Amino acid sequence: MVKGLSNLISKEIKELLRDPKIMLGMVLMPLITFPLMGAAMNISTSTLEESTRNVSVMIMNLDKGPLAESLLLMLQSMNVTIIETGSSTVEDALVDLSQSNTTTLVVIPQGFSQNLTLGLRAKIIVYSVFESLSLAEGIRSSAVEVPINLYKNALVTQAIRQAFPDRDPLAVLDPISISNVAVVKGKIVNVSSDILRSLFMSQSLGFPLVIMLLLVSAMQIAATSISIEKEEKTLETLLTVPISRLGILTGKLAGSVVVAAAGAIASIIGVNYYINSFNQMIPTQNISLEDLGLSMTPLSYGLLGVMIFVTIVSALALAIIVAAFSENVRSAQALVGPLNFIFIFPSLILMFTDIQMLPYPIQIVLYAIPYTHSIIATKAAFLGDYFTMLISIAYVSAFTIAVLYIAARIFTTEKIVTARISFKKLKIRKP
Amino acid sequence: MNNVAVETKNLVKTFGDIKALNGLSFTVTRGEIFGLIGPNGAGKTTTLRILATLIKPSSGSAKIFGYDVEKNPSEVRRIISYLPEEAGAYKNLSGFEYLEFMANFYHQSPQEGRAAVEEAAKISGLGERLKDRVKTYSKGMNRRLLLARALMMKPKLAILDEPTSGLDVVHAFHVRRIIQEYAKTHGVTVLLSSHNMLEVEFLCNQVALINEGKVIGQGSPHELKSYYGVNNLEDVFMEATKLG
Repeated sequence: MVKGLSNLISKEIKELLRDPKIMLGMVLMPLITFPLMGAAMNISTSTLEESTRNVSVMIMNLDKGPLAESLLLMLQSMNVTIIETGSSTVEDALVDLSQSNTTTLVVIPQGFSQNLTLGLRAKIIVYSVFESLSLAEGIRSSAVEVPINLYKNALVTQAIRQAFPDRDPLAVLDPISISNVAVVKGKIVNVSSDILRSLFMSQSLGFPLVIMLLLVSAMQIAATSISIEKEEKTLETLLTVPISRLGILTGKLAGSVVVAAAGAIASIIGVNYYINSFNQMIPTQNISLEDLGLSMTPLSYGLLGVMIFVTIVSALALAIIVAAFSENVRSAQALVGPLNFIFIFPSLILMFTDIQMLPYPIQIVLYAIPYTHSIIATKAAFLGDYFTMLISIAYVSAFTIAVLYIAARIFTTEKIVTARISFKKLKIRKP
Repeated sequence: MNNVAVETKNLVKTFGDIKALNGLSFTVTRGEIFGLIGPNGAGKTTTLRILATLIKPSSGSAKIFGYDVEKNPSEVRRIISYLPEEAGAYKNLSGFEYLEFMANFYHQSPQEGRAAVEEAAKISGLGERLKDRVKTYSKGMNRRLLLARALMMKPKLAILDEPTSGLDVVHAFHVRRIIQEYAKTHGVTVLLSSHNMLEVEFLCNQVALINEGKVIGQGSPHELKSYYGVNNLEDVFMEATKLG
């Protein structure tokens, strides 16, 4: 039995990995696509950083007063490259701008210094040329406003000091300071809630995504491994060799698990690269989950492993049941496709919200879907919530046993040979 | 010593409203090449599938070397090999890998397995092409590979459904010669079905005529021709069924 099983598993792995559809779709695609997406994100991010670091503006100084000059000095002190234009009209200045490397024109109108000295409102006009609709364009055009705002703050602080020499200008400007303190697992954590929120967001997006990818590929592989036997007319021969039907089922499941694991590892590597690229734009990367008490313990890892294992086995058995009724690979994949809904649905919902926040009827529907529990368990693993994990594992395991029982029933009867779903009549027929 | 290789008694098989077998009974003696002949839908493939433990009879019984196919399918699978009419091999494996994979189910030691694969290589006559992936084989090469697989483990009973179906003259000749030689040399009992009456006459010691799920005549080709007073098995069949 063991010899026959290992023989079958090694053949399954060989066959599946040599199938170009599986190799390309399950292993190479995630390894190539996600890093490519990540690289594109990286290039965009570095281009954006580069463009905001080297801000250059064209200045049309019609004021020439001392405060206009001090504004220019402040801009220069903040590494803003200044190109002064001698044009006297905005139209001419915009022509100059179009011939330069910069896309921002700052006009300091006549009377700027005088108004400020007299305590009146002065005005600055910033013209931004939009050449494309990229995110970088928008950020670059607003980059010059940062030093201008700093200059404004300096003027305000100076005015407050003059009016209220005995008071702190900051207390006048911002009399109430709000500090956000996060409490994680009952402990006060010295990190702002906003940053933690971003961190949780990136984690809650990542795990359901990885589980979803894993299950989609595993089911496709399992369905292919059965339907390819039917399509290539090898199943009947295999069913007459001296190995039990349950042995064949186990071999198919095990072979698919190994190939799905290769696909999952490829997906995780790819997704990890992609998410890291994404995280570079979020100021959370220096926060360690361990510091927050959110790191996984060995027990969490163990339970998560059990959870992922039973989840994959149930998905594979489900795919095998469906594929048993198909006549070829294409019809098997068509039959398995709609099944993906039962884990895509909870994954998408739980990416963006907590199950307790949903209306009661939706909660019931979600809790009934076994794969919801797989996602809940991955989140619970990070919070060290072993009770939730055990409940989830029990539910998914019960579902897995039921699905495996049905798969075994199909394999041990002649249904595996005779049953077909006729797409014309949408009913099971026999030859 | 019991000389009976296959014994079916009143086999009935229904698929929904269709009665594929309707009380089919025949006996195959050890060491003979036994042919099932009949028109499409007569029940030949259903009979062979029941004997190969793929499907179960609705009623009646079938025994192979004393083992009941329903009660002892594991024992039956150890002593038979089955070649379906529309069989294939794993396209992404080489011919050698396919033979090794199949041999590993039957043989205890690696030496036995290797010997079986060498035997299969000889039977198939595919030579160096066995190193190539099966997907590069022609239909004839594929059939020779599958026949070699079916015979390499020297089964007590080889069940061959239309062994030369769809083959050209050269490949069909090669396949028939292998079956005949192998049965003679190794004492393998062969149960085959065929549409080709000439093939059956050439290969089989005993023939059963099947029509509408029943055996309507059984004997050696010579006996059947004498009984019906005709010159070939085709005429025997037409006479027996009164289809002509």
